[in-house]
Amino acid sequence: MIIKFKLNGKDVEFDVLEHKRALDFLRDDMRMTSVKEGCGEGECGACTIILNGKNVNSCMVLAVELDGQEVWTLEGLNEIGDTKIQDAYIEKGAIQCGFCTPGFIMSTKVLLDKNPNPSEEEIKEGLEGNLCRCTGYTKIIEAVKFAARGEK
Amino acid sequence: MFRYYKPHTINELSELKAKYDSKLLSGGTDLMVKMRAKVINPEVVIDTKGLEKEEITFDGSKIRIPLNTTYDDLLSNNEFCDRFPMVVDIIKQIGSPQIRNRATPIGNIGNASPAGDFLLATYLFHGYAEIKPSNKKVRIHQLIDGPGRLRLKPEEFIYSIELKERKGFKYYYEKVGKRNAMNIAIISLGVLVKLDGEIIEEIKIAYGSVGPTVVRFKDIEDGVIGKKFSKELFEELAEKYYERINPITDVRATADYRKKMVKNLMLKSYYNLNKN
Ligand SMILES: Cc1cc2nc3c(=O)[nH]c(=O)nc-3n(C[C@H](O)[C@H](O)[C@H](O)COP(=O)(O)OP(=O)(O)OC[C@H]3O[C@@H](n4cnc5c(N)ncnc54)[C@H](O)[C@@H]3O)c2cc1C
Ligand code: FES
Ligand code: FES
Repeated sequence: MIIKFKLNGKDVEFDVLEHKRALDFLRDDMRMTSVKEGCGEGECGACTIILNGKNVNSCMVLAVELDGQEVWTLEGLNEIGDTKIQDAYIEKGAIQCGFCTPGFIMSTKVLLDKNPNPSEEEIKEGLEGNLCRCTGYTKIIEAVKFAARGEK
Repeated sequence: MFRYYKPHTINELSELKAKYDSKLLSGGTDLMVKMRAKVINPEVVIDTKGLEKEEITFDGSKIRIPLNTTYDDLLSNNEFCDRFPMVVDIIKQIGSPQIRNRATPIGNIGNASPAGDFLLATYLFHGYAEIKPSNKKVRIHQLIDGPGRLRLKPEEFIYSIELKERKGFKYYYEKVGKRNAMNIAIISLGVLVKLDGEIIEEIKIAYGSVGPTVVRFKDIEDGVIGKKFSKELFEELAEKYYERINPITDVRATADYRKKMVKNLMLKSYYNLNKN
C-alpha cells in the first residue's frame, strides 16, 4: 500500500507492506536508525517517535497508519539544529550505552514542548514510558532540568 | 500476515467486519502485542481511525466518549477532569505517556480483560455502549462474555460509550502491581460511596483481576445501604468478598495472595475513604 506522510519535515511517499510495523519501516526502509527496538511490546520506549506532536511507541504502530501523518525522529531534530536536549544529555553525562537515548530525547522533547518548566515529579511522569538499563535515571533527570532551565 | 483496511463509513466497517476473520484496530496497543505474540492471527485488520472522530460531549450528568478518543484526549479535557476525578486517577495509572497517546477506552473494553482498568471504571460509572450499525445501547458489563470476548454480532462494533457522573461520592482506587509505570494489575479495587452524615446512601464496589471479568456483587452493595459507615462494616465487607471471590493463580500472583489482597484492600479502602 502506498503511503504519503511527512517525515522530519519532508514529504515522503513509499509502498509499504500492510503488516509492517512503523518501527521496522522507519529503521529499514527510511534508515532512521535512531529508532531502536528494545522489547517490541510497548514497555521500553526505545522505539519512541513523535507522531503528530505526541510521543508514541513505533513498535505498536503499523507503517500504513503513518499515511497522512507527521513524524519526527531524532535525525530530524539534528537536521534542523534542534539539539538543545541532546546537548544537555551529553553535558550531564546522561548516556552510557546510549541504546535508550534517542527514545528518551523524543519523550523529553514532547514533555518540554508541553511544559517548559517541569517539576522533578513531572519529569518522572513524562519519562515513565522509557527504560534505561544503565544510568539509574538521576543523570537523565538532571539533563532534562538542564535542557529546560539551565539548572546545574 | 494480514490485510489492512481503513473504512470511512459505519456501513463499510461493519460489512468488512462481518465478511472476514478480522480484528478492529484503534490504538493498537493491545492488538499489536497479541498479533506479534501470535496469540491471535486475524486475516484482516480494520483500522477504525478512518471514521470521522467526534468530539467528547457532555449531556447533563453524562459524558459521551466516541470511537478513537484516546486516554490522552480525555486527560486533556478540562470538563472531564473536573467531573470524573476518579476516572482520571484510573487513567493516569494505565500504561505510560506513549501508551496513553494511542490507546483508547473503547479498545480497553474491546479487550475484555479482567485487568482492564478503564473497564472497571465503566462498572462503577453506569457505563453504556452504543453499538453500530444496530444503534443499540447496552450496559457495558452485559457486553462482556469472558476474557477477550464481547457479546457482539459479527457486523457489530462499539461506536461510543457513556459514563454517568457520580456527584457527591467519595472514592478510593488502588491497583496493585509489580511496577509503577505500565502496570497490568495483580488486583485492583475501586469503591465509590455516598454518605448522608454517617449513613451509607449508595455504594459501588468493583474488583479487577480476580475473576474472568471485573467483579461486582449488587446484593452485597445493597445490603449495606442505610448502615453506618464504620470500620466494623468494612471488616464485614472484607469477609464477604473474601468468601465470594475465587481468583486464579497466574504469572503475576498466586490465588492465595490475591485472596488475601481482596480482604486487605477493602480494609485499606475504609481508612482512605475515612480520611477525605
Ligand atoms: C506497555 C503496556 C501497558 C499497558 N498498561 C495497561 C494498564 O495499565 N491497564 C490496562 O487496562 N491496560 C493496559 N494495557 C493494554 C492496552 O493498552 C489497553 O487495554 C488499551 O485501552 C487498549 O486500547 P487500544 O485502542 O490500543 O486497543 P486496540 O489494541 O486497538 O484494540 C483492543 C481490542 O479491542 C477491539 N476493539 C477495538 N475497537 C473496538 C470497537 N470499536 N468495538 C469493538 N471492539 C473493538 C480490538 O479488535 C482488540 O481486540 C497496556 C498495554 C501495553 C502495551
Ligand atoms: S521496542 Fe517499542 S517500546 Fe520497546
Ligand atoms: S544508557 Fe544504556 S540503556 Fe540507557
